[in-house]
Amino acid sequence: MAYSFLHSADLHLGKAFGNFPETIRGRLREARHGALQRLAAAARQAGARDVLLAGDTFDAETPSPETLRHALRAMAAASDLRWFVLPGNHDSLAASELWRRFLQDAPANLVVLTRPEPIEMESAVWLLPAPCTQRRPGRDLSEAMSAPTPPGALRIGLGHGAIMDFSGEEGGLGIIPPDRARLSGLDYLALGDWHGRMQVGPATWYSGTPEADGFKHDLAAGALAVTLGAAGTPAKAEVRPTGQFQWLRPALDVLPGDAVAERLAQCLPPEAERRDVLMRLDVSGRLALAERAALEAALAAVAPDFGWFEADLSRLASEVQDGDLDMIDRRGALREAAESLLAQSRDPARPGAERELAEAALARLYALVQEVPA
Amino acid sequence: MKIRAIELVNLRRFGGQRARIDGIGDGISVLAQPNEFGKSTFFDGLHALFFQHHRSKTAQTRALQPHAGGAPEAAVELEIEGRRFRLEKRWLSRQSARVLDDAGRVIAQEDEAEAWIERLTGQGLAGPSGLLWVRQGLFGLEPEGSSAADKAERERAFSTRRDLVASVAGEIDAMTGGRRMDLVLTRVAEALARLATGTLKPRAGGEWARAVDEAAGLEAARVGLEDKARRLTEALAQRAGLMRNLQALSDPEAQAREAAGLSAAQEALQAAERHAEQMRRAASDLRLAQLTAEQSAAEIRALQDLRTRLRRAAEAEARTAAELDKVDALTAEAAGQERAAAARHDAAAGASSAAQQALDHARRAHLATAAQARAIGLASQLARAEAQRNLLEEQVAARAVFRITPAALARAEEAQAVFDRLTAQEESRHVAIRLDYAGEARVRLDGQPLEAGSLRVQRVTRLDLPGIGGMTIDPGLGAGDGLAETRARAGDALQAALGACEAPDLAAARRALSEAQRLDAAIEATRAMLAELAEGGLDALRARLAAARAEAGDTADGPAGDLAALEAALAQARAEEQAALAVRREAEARHGQLREARAGALAAHRAAETAQREIAAEAGDLVDLAARLQILSEAQGQQAEACAAAAALLERLRAEAPDLDTARAAVARLRAVCEGRQRDRASCETTLAGVNGVIGAWADEGIEEALDELRGREAAAKARAARYEREVKSLALLREALEAARRAARDTYFGPVLRELNPLLSILHPGAQLQIDDSSLLPVALLREGQAEGLDILSGGTREQLAVLTRLAFARLFARAGRAVPVILDDALVHSDDDRIEAMFTALHRVALDQQIIVLTCRQRAFASLGGARMDVTVSAL
Repeated sequence: MAYSFLHSADLHLGKAFGNFPETIRGRLREARHGALQRLAAAARQAGARDVLLAGDTFDAETPSPETLRHALRAMAAASDLRWFVLPGNHDSLAASELWRRFLQDAPANLVVLTRPEPIEMESAVWLLPAPCTQRRPGRDLSEAMSAPTPPGALRIGLGHGAIMDFSGEEGGLGIIPPDRARLSGLDYLALGDWHGRMQVGPATWYSGTPEADGFKHDLAAGALAVTLGAAGTPAKAEVRPTGQFQWLRPALDVLPGDAVAERLAQCLPPEAERRDVLMRLDVSGRLALAERAALEAALAAVAPDFGWFEADLSRLASEVQDGDLDMIDRRGALREAAESLLAQSRDPARPGAERELAEAALARLYALVQEVPA
Repeated sequence: MKIRAIELVNLRRFGGQRARIDGIGDGISVLAQPNEFGKSTFFDGLHALFFQHHRSKTAQTRALQPHAGGAPEAAVELEIEGRRFRLEKRWLSRQSARVLDDAGRVIAQEDEAEAWIERLTGQGLAGPSGLLWVRQGLFGLEPEGSSAADKAERERAFSTRRDLVASVAGEIDAMTGGRRMDLVLTRVAEALARLATGTLKPRAGGEWARAVDEAAGLEAARVGLEDKARRLTEALAQRAGLMRNLQALSDPEAQAREAAGLSAAQEALQAAERHAEQMRRAASDLRLAQLTAEQSAAEIRALQDLRTRLRRAAEAEARTAAELDKVDALTAEAAGQERAAAARHDAAAGASSAAQQALDHARRAHLATAAQARAIGLASQLARAEAQRNLLEEQVAARAVFRITPAALARAEEAQAVFDRLTAQEESRHVAIRLDYAGEARVRLDGQPLEAGSLRVQRVTRLDLPGIGGMTIDPGLGAGDGLAETRARAGDALQAALGACEAPDLAAARRALSEAQRLDAAIEATRAMLAELAEGGLDALRARLAAARAEAGDTADGPAGDLAALEAALAQARAEEQAALAVRREAEARHGQLREARAGALAAHRAAETAQREIAAEAGDLVDLAARLQILSEAQGQQAEACAAAAALLERLRAEAPDLDTARAAVARLRAVCEGRQRDRASCETTLAGVNGVIGAWADEGIEEALDELRGREAAAKARAARYEREVKSLALLREALEAARRAARDTYFGPVLRELNPLLSILHPGAQLQIDDSSLLPVALLREGQAEGLDILSGGTREQLAVLTRLAFARLFARAGRAVPVILDDALVHSDDDRIEAMFTALHRVALDQQIIVLTCRQRAFASLGGARMDVTVSAL
């Protein structure tokens, strides 16, 4: 026999993204909600009837009624699928009101795994959930996966948290033993918490979030379509992309004389995709004032293409070359001011913050002088 | 550069004419001509040649055209670094511009000529040469009229000033960054103003302030929401606890256990209560039996007591009756003894009274005799005392005559001594004259003849010498020093002192004082004697005498008798009386005691009789009393047996009794447990309902989602505010650097200017300095003697002089830089007085040492003393 299901986790529905501008904030939240539909589509494409959500379906213990209701409606709409929802650390069982409401309006195709007890998903296929009792339970909840099931049945563990040799998404120390699948005789251990996709062992996977929510992970967001053969045979996990937004954080290291515009263009995604891209460009190295001005102008020009764009120039040093100050003025007060600022920016006796300010002021002077007619 | 010749063709005043000035030398050249000669036409033509493009058709250019029309032309011949050049321009029609060298070759024309001129002026049309064109009207000296001409002139003056400023700014631009610096600073200021206040705080309404405000608002909202979230978390935890409690309280097994326990406890309590009832009844029976036995015993004791009392009452009645009889006999005997003692006592008392009377009579007789003798003595003493008193009165009267005191005598003696000393002094000054007459004639003094003998003259005295004349004697020494007056005053003082002593002289005074002192001693002795004789005074002595006489009179009624014998008789009588009285009192006491004893015995007897009757009445029949005692004694044994049986039963029940309080406590505890469970469950359900309501309400708000959003927005707002703060700091630093550089440049620029200007200024105003405005780049104040005087309050002449001096200073500065250009003054210094204009001429000459100065003026006389070379204008028709 073969049994297929879709493994996902960490939807974090209702995540606020408050540190982003309002325009992109709404889109990001909507994209997280849309992940449910995309998961359903991925499950259908994989021929799976069951979707296992390994925790953190909701971002908060008390999501708004709209977040809750929209999730329920989306799951109910996929009536050909079954949703198995495991409480994670963000939406642990301590979030009693969340689960009370969730269960109160739960559609028939929704199973909330509030107890660490084996559930027979279908004949000879048992799900062994380990719901999070608290945000930080402080014990290995996955021990519950050692519960007995009928001989020969497929055993699928569903848990949430970090494994022992690997810190969690939020940096906490892991408690789940990395060989939990072996210890508990699992054919597959579906884990949540780590937002990036990662295989921990032959039958142990973090699926990652279906919709990226930060710059931490490089892989494209997706879910795992898992197929289990007879008990004891290796599981087969296949990635199904589900993400709408790309979160990119490329690095651009430049030196004077570089073709800045070309180097920048190489870092950027195709223009047509940029609307659904959040990009944080880390610029490092050093540039002449004119080159820096050109780079800043180029950055300002491309920024509106993106859903969100930010360039971090704090590690980009300005290199003042002979001609740079001439471009400000060959003599007179402007030149004097420029040289004063340059001296301040190079004065090792000054604190770094003051030198950076002087450097920024010099760059600003350069830009302003270029703007005014000669 | 030096101008050597100027030529105008068909230019304004010289329409249809060619006007030419030749031979303009180094130093000062003056063209002094009356008004309407065309001096300003030369000025304007020369200005146009340098600063108006040959293809210009502006109003300013058209103003060069004469009334008759035609194309105006101007030319100037220059000497530059030893070479001669000719510049030519024609405007409006067949415009042209040419530059020719000293060989007459055209080296540039049209635009190239313009470019050549521009290079010559160094900084373009608004360049430094513009500084050197000075004409009337600079520095606010415009015409003040309202005519069109005045207005036009003011406009021209303003234009000139503007050009001047522009030219100054043009030079400064080279040093300070000029317009670009202004634009950059403006943009920096605008960027700063959009974000920050003057003190670099967030500007209200600006992006920075909005970010800061937004961050603060979000922080406040976040804190509030965190509090709400915390309370929600607490409410959720509370609900979890409540639900666990409710589950435990609703446990049916626990409830059944508690109900069974309560039922068993209630049954145990009922059994214990039944046993307790049995015990209560047994105790009651025991108590009843004990009471019955006690009553019987008490009744037996009462009957036995009654029988004893009856016997004792009979014995008491008999005993009291005998006692009464005995007392009656004794009482009668005592009464007889009392009567006898009273009679003896009465007799003794009479004898004692008689002895007392005899003794009293004898004592009175003795007292009268003593009083009479005392009266005689007192009468004698009174007579002596009265004699002393009379003597004292005489002595006092004699003493009253003398008022002198030792102090008065001392003052008189002192006054006498002063007087005597003065008298001696005066006498020592006398002139002694001795008169010896031989005839009848006598010397006269004050009309009185003086006899022969000595005469003392103390003062200027005129003696009449009959038949001879007069002779005036002047004692001389001491005359006029007031000794006589002093002596007279001393004499008066002596008389006054003697008057106070009531003595004519000092000896009498001394005698009077001696007498007075003697009298004082006699008075004292007399008073002592009188006090000895009549202590307390004469009246007291007389009273004592009267009393003694009265006493002697009152008691002198018989012979005195033997007092000692009488006193002994009286003592004997009184002793006998006392003894009789003691016997009488003893008899009376015994009789009284016996009367009281009889009364007591009688009362006791009567009481005994009464008690006997009462007890007899109480006892009734004595036979019945004995029978009753017999019956009661027999019943007493049965009653003791009943008591023992009841006590045994009670003891047994007590030994078997369960603890009723424990049973009751168990029932109460278990009932409380059951009721508490119900109550706790109800309370828990009520609290849970409330907590559910709160959680439901807050959960609807999506607090954590909102909180997460707020945190993100707050962080973004704070980051944005930090970026703006950094931007402001960066802009402020840039502004500071720019302004510092510009200040330094201006200082660099104006330093040389002032170094050139101040020596010129000192020619007019020694020690004065000019203050130059940082923004207008023009002198704004004159510093004299530590006071800054704004140019606007200076006189027109002074302002005009300063304007000219400023330009001369600039000209010297340019000359030192190797860029010498002419200074052209057109009707300048029109407001200067004679002294100042002389000083200005000196200044002009000082500058003219290495500077060409061309002066155009209509003030021929005033400028006659300027010196310099005179220029001539050659005018010829075309």
